[in-house]
Amino acid sequence: MMAGCNRRDFLRIMGLAGTTALVGCSSESGRTLIPYIVPTDDIIPGQATWYATTCRECPAGCGILAKNRDGHVIKVEGNPLHPVNAGKLCSRGQASLHGLYNPDRFSGPHKMTASGEPVPISWDEGMAILTQGLDGILDRGKKDRIVVVSDLVSGTLKDFIAYWLGEMRSREHILYEPFAYEPLRRANAMVFGTEGIPSYRLDRADFLLSFGAGFLETWLSNVEYARQFAAFRTPHDQGKNRFLYVGPRMSLTAANADFWVQAAPGDEFLVAAGMLMVLTGEGLLPNISAEQKKSVASLVRGLTLEAVAAGTGVSEETLRRMALEFARAEHPLALAEGLSFSSPRATETAAAAGLLCALHPGSRETIDFQGLSELGQVDSTARMQELSQKMQDGKVEAVLLFQANPAYSLPPSWNFHKSLQKVPLVVSFSPAMDETTRSAHLILPAHSPLESWGDYSPRKGVTGIMQPVMGPVFDSRHPGDILLAAGRQLKGPERFPAESFYHILRNAWQLKGQELAPGVPPETFWQEAVKRGGVWDEVKGSKGESSGNPVRPSKFSFPLVELGNRNKKEFHFTGFPTVQYYDGRGANRPWLQEIPDPISQITWGGWVEMHPDTARSLDLAKGDLVVIRSPYGSIEAPVFPLPTVPPDTLAVPIGQGHSHYGRFATAEYGNPMGLLPSGIDPMCNGLLRPEFKVTVEKLGRRVPIAHVDGSLFQHDREMARSLTLEAYREGKASGAKPHLYLPLPEGYDPAQDFYPPHDHVDYRWGMVIDLDRCIGCGACVAACYAENNVAVVGRDQILKGREMSWLRIQRYFGPDADGIRFFPMPCMHCDNAPCESVCPVYAPHHSKEGLNNQVYNRCIGTRFCAQNCPYKVRRFNWFTFTRPEPLNWQLNPDVTVRQKGVMEKCSFCVQRIIEAKFHAKDQGRKVQDGEFTTACAQTCPADAIVFGNLMDPESRVSRLIQDHRAYQALEHLNTKPAVFYLKKLTQEPLKA
Amino acid sequence: METISYSRFNEDILRNMSPPGRRYYVLLALAFAGVLLGASCWAYQIATGLGSAGINLPVYWGTYLINFVFWVGIAHSGTLISAILYLFRAPWRTAIARSAEAMTVFAVSVAGLFPFIHLGRVWIVYWILPYPNQRNLWPNFQSPLVFDVIAISTYLTVSVLFWFTGLIPDLAVVRDSSTGLRRKIYGFFSLGWLGTHRQWNHYGTAYLLFAALATPLVISVHSVVSWDFALSIVPGWHSTIFAPYFVAGAIHSGLAMVLTLLIPLRRVFKFEHLITLKILENIAKTIIFTGLIVGYAYGVEYFMAQYSGNIAERDTFIWRAVGHYALEFWIMVLFNAVVPLAFFIKKVRTDLRYLFGISILINIGMWYERFVIIVGSAAHQFDPYSWGYYSPTWVEFGIMIGSFSLFFFLFLLFARFIPTISMTEMKETGRHSRRENP
Repeated sequence: MMAGCNRRDFLRIMGLAGTTALVGCSSESGRTLIPYIVPTDDIIPGQATWYATTCRECPAGCGILAKNRDGHVIKVEGNPLHPVNAGKLCSRGQASLHGLYNPDRFSGPHKMTASGEPVPISWDEGMAILTQGLDGILDRGKKDRIVVVSDLVSGTLKDFIAYWLGEMRSREHILYEPFAYEPLRRANAMVFGTEGIPSYRLDRADFLLSFGAGFLETWLSNVEYARQFAAFRTPHDQGKNRFLYVGPRMSLTAANADFWVQAAPGDEFLVAAGMLMVLTGEGLLPNISAEQKKSVASLVRGLTLEAVAAGTGVSEETLRRMALEFARAEHPLALAEGLSFSSPRATETAAAAGLLCALHPGSRETIDFQGLSELGQVDSTARMQELSQKMQDGKVEAVLLFQANPAYSLPPSWNFHKSLQKVPLVVSFSPAMDETTRSAHLILPAHSPLESWGDYSPRKGVTGIMQPVMGPVFDSRHPGDILLAAGRQLKGPERFPAESFYHILRNAWQLKGQELAPGVPPETFWQEAVKRGGVWDEVKGSKGESSGNPVRPSKFSFPLVELGNRNKKEFHFTGFPTVQYYDGRGANRPWLQEIPDPISQITWGGWVEMHPDTARSLDLAKGDLVVIRSPYGSIEAPVFPLPTVPPDTLAVPIGQGHSHYGRFATAEYGNPMGLLPSGIDPMCNGLLRPEFKVTVEKLGRRVPIAHVDGSLFQHDREMARSLTLEAYREGKASGAKPHLYLPLPEGYDPAQDFYPPHDHVDYRWGMVIDLDRCIGCGACVAACYAENNVAVVGRDQILKGREMSWLRIQRYFGPDADGIRFFPMPCMHCDNAPCESVCPVYAPHHSKEGLNNQVYNRCIGTRFCAQNCPYKVRRFNWFTFTRPEPLNWQLNPDVTVRQKGVMEKCSFCVQRIIEAKFHAKDQGRKVQDGEFTTACAQTCPADAIVFGNLMDPESRVSRLIQDHRAYQALEHLNTKPAVFYLKKLTQEPLKA
Repeated sequence: METISYSRFNEDILRNMSPPGRRYYVLLALAFAGVLLGASCWAYQIATGLGSAGINLPVYWGTYLINFVFWVGIAHSGTLISAILYLFRAPWRTAIARSAEAMTVFAVSVAGLFPFIHLGRVWIVYWILPYPNQRNLWPNFQSPLVFDVIAISTYLTVSVLFWFTGLIPDLAVVRDSSTGLRRKIYGFFSLGWLGTHRQWNHYGTAYLLFAALATPLVISVHSVVSWDFALSIVPGWHSTIFAPYFVAGAIHSGLAMVLTLLIPLRRVFKFEHLITLKILENIAKTIIFTGLIVGYAYGVEYFMAQYSGNIAERDTFIWRAVGHYALEFWIMVLFNAVVPLAFFIKKVRTDLRYLFGISILINIGMWYERFVIIVGSAAHQFDPYSWGYYSPTWVEFGIMIGSFSLFFFLFLLFARFIPTISMTEMKETGRHSRRENP
């Protein structure tokens, strides 16, 4: 919607939206959703209102615009003005609506019975229990007895919690995030002298090296980095910037690399150390100071290049070439994951990656310590251990939980929920049941972030505002309001004079306005900020030495790495975060469960990835349940043989294996945290991740795995094609045009076409998908589900092969299981469509604008169209799929909800086309290129999808299909698809 | 053929219409229970959605269309025997023509149900018909499914008329030998048959006409059914051999079904002297012929896939032989193309046990042929990401049992209420044979 409009248009729309937001949607109004007898001014039936707010599905803090239709928010899209995501969202962001409308949310306050059953109570009762409990604690007079554990909050709410806790004679506000990046922060302190997380500027780099950092999935700010990555990878005159990934598993990020350097968990450090040794030892970088050399020496002490090569299996030659490539680059950037639990030696790896950048003067441009990430404020996991200890010792009398679920994310060996049981008063503000809330005594459900006022600052210089984008769906309250009411009750209105948290927020922003924009009236500043979605510096840190962070000589005292013999019978183990579940909080969003994992293509379930050769040698087949044992615990998971891990490594995704997270988090298998010890890593204060091996034992049961791919390989069908850079250059230079079967009259040849061409009027819609930009993240799929009311069918139906996705990202391994290609597949809207000719009742209908419309009402369900579709994009309604209340509130009223027995498929977002045409007609003109776009193209973080009019020779699609890389899928069938692909560009991973 | 008097024909043939024993009623009840089972399964499917069957993405077509093609195929040899062999004046067909023709009618009726069962929204199936409607829309005459509707309904109409025309003189015989209500009913259906010369003259002309009409239908209907597949672009379906291949297959399976039905029938009704071993042997010889055509078609498909150079086409055929459905594929090859060759041996084709056993195997093999064609292609098409598997659910099995039950139910009724052998034609043939051997 918003992608194509210019800034001025956008502001005009948002001006309206923001004002109406102020009038109509404060937390003080709209508690219940009833039809309007006298409608409010801002709701025009059938017209959407867009509210700017901030996504809180992860700490990245992307700006979003929420589309509100008749009082319901039906879609979220990225805020094009926001510096973090610039209009894009990932699948988690798209699925935030499923957090809002989750049918498992608490309908109101609950009290937990002794047997652990929540019993509904009224807010008055709930508040009474809370205040009495707190009152008792205050009476006893001990300090620091009340603890707030929240996810990462910042700004006004954080300040208010601090103030409130101060009134309660406590300072214990723990910002708990499972992904706290302690090693990264620690390493940055060692190397750069700043214990924090800078803004990385992938778009300024020309060589990228990732040591396990999954920046396209969950790492720090995945939408922002995916955008930057797309810019980084855009081919330029000198070629295409290279990206190498070092890690134990072919992750989504690794799949986008030129080369995946396989390294066992913890061996990333060795690879980095090897590169450092080459760089310093062979003088590849001229200006290395003696002190830097000393730093490197202290980091790599006890290691030799030969030992590293032998230990990691990465040859000396490869290490040397990697180092050489790094040294030659003008602005290389090395990233390390820096998550303490995912690999051993995370701090060492992060320090080594930091040192790599520190040695190369050009690297500093790519690391911006001005824009420190708010993630640096997260408390280390050590603080949670202190809390556990204090709870065990009976030194904590009340715990207030805000959106934090440590009982799930901490290793079970911590027994966090047992410690929690020692606390006399545990209050959860969680909107829905989770593993930690299960141990609470009182549940006072908070608003979902989309119903709340607030602000959040993902990094220095950027502060997003959150505003309610609709009235509360359930009988919940703003957490700030709950604290405010309790404070007023306990300390009187003098200490808590504010009317509501909204007023606190507005006051805070008006004060902020006086500071940031002294000339502007405070109220105007506030309103502008709400309209815009926050405040941020228009001009980001200037180029050059923006880091402001002198590299300091460091002395590292990491324990020596032992490169012992490697036992063949045991396995390395890695638990990896996925783009959908983040730390597991996404597991109760049905869209996220239903959309396949980008790499394994598995839906609805935990699994363990095992190399197919290993599985064969252990006599394990797909779905065989195994128990994985580490010295610290064991987990069960079904085996999924997949060439994404080396034969000696097992990988389990993080985020599944919930026990109490609602009806959608059904995958009982595989929370990899179960294999970790309970200790704290003294190096970084994060979770301890010692180097250990796991064993595997077959349990004899088989759990079906609901994966949606039919094959790992392309079988020479040339769906996802590629081209070497050299061939591309040659082709381009030769001026050869791609041979296309255009879905236009000029694409018809009487010699091969029996029927005459269609005549299109004004428009012939088409799409171009750039496979070189597509990162395979699946954000487009989530957007499509949201926009088009695509049904979620659940695990059982997917096992029967009945997923309903209108758009899918096909994943193909290379012929030798090396490397992965992603291939997004919407309906091709063929001009010579095989589906149209076989339907007896004209339900697939070719429109005057080239759309292959599916007329649901005409469909009698012969399914011949789907059988005849070579792309297999048609989806049949095997049942009347329904959505449990209130998930159905999300349904887009512009799109028909289909009943059983009819076929459906991608419509090129025909409702958006019609809306744009209406809009253009009102102004007496034609729809302009880029004025609107489809839901998938709108959200694509890499801008891989372009939609437009093929009849307009100046449109972006018309220009893009002139590219030498353009081709059509299965074009030999003469279907004349209107979806064009641009071949992926490949290059030698390392220059010789 | 030994000389049999006209009254003996009447007596013998009408014996099947005498009050049946308990065994008949047990069979009838069983068949009816099967019909009820099938009907309930269908009702359940309509209520819940097609998801109650095992079809999925990419195998959108499952047992319903397999059974459809199977039953249409069964129907064909009925027409072959009654019409084509009539035109060719093959004397051995006479004794079995009536049953074969009944088989055609019932099989087409059962087959005709499957496209309905197969539909997602069967309640608006009439939209497929070209009738003047508010929406001002014709059906899509490009669609093979519309060809299908026309072909199958034509075939059913012609078969019923042909069958009924042949029945008229015989019904009059029944009418003449019965009393009361029975006489009235048979009287109604015998359309006032008196056996005058004029009537015989018209009868002969009409019968010949319908035989002539039905004959091209044998070819055309199954060709049209094959175009449901051949006019698509699915690898393994999109092939010009499909029409002759399907017709031969249809006759192959139909002949086998004729054997399956006749061998018990002649035993139960003691028709051994009418439906002689010679007749069965002749059917077996024809089966050798059709089996060879079918086997040839299997071979040609592989040759064409290889010769075409089309990757998807080649892969589909290799996959059929070695992939997930290899067992079904080899059952098909063995039962349809290899086993019938045993009929080259005189001992085999004149031994009832072998005849019956092999006919059952061919029936199974031909069912699997449709399975291999439909599922084996649909599961393994152009886009490897969308490959999949299919296995039927209890609903589909229920409906399949229901379809067989319906067929046998109708056949049991037929055996009880209608002269199962054409008395008229038997008498004619008898006279001819007398003339030949005075």
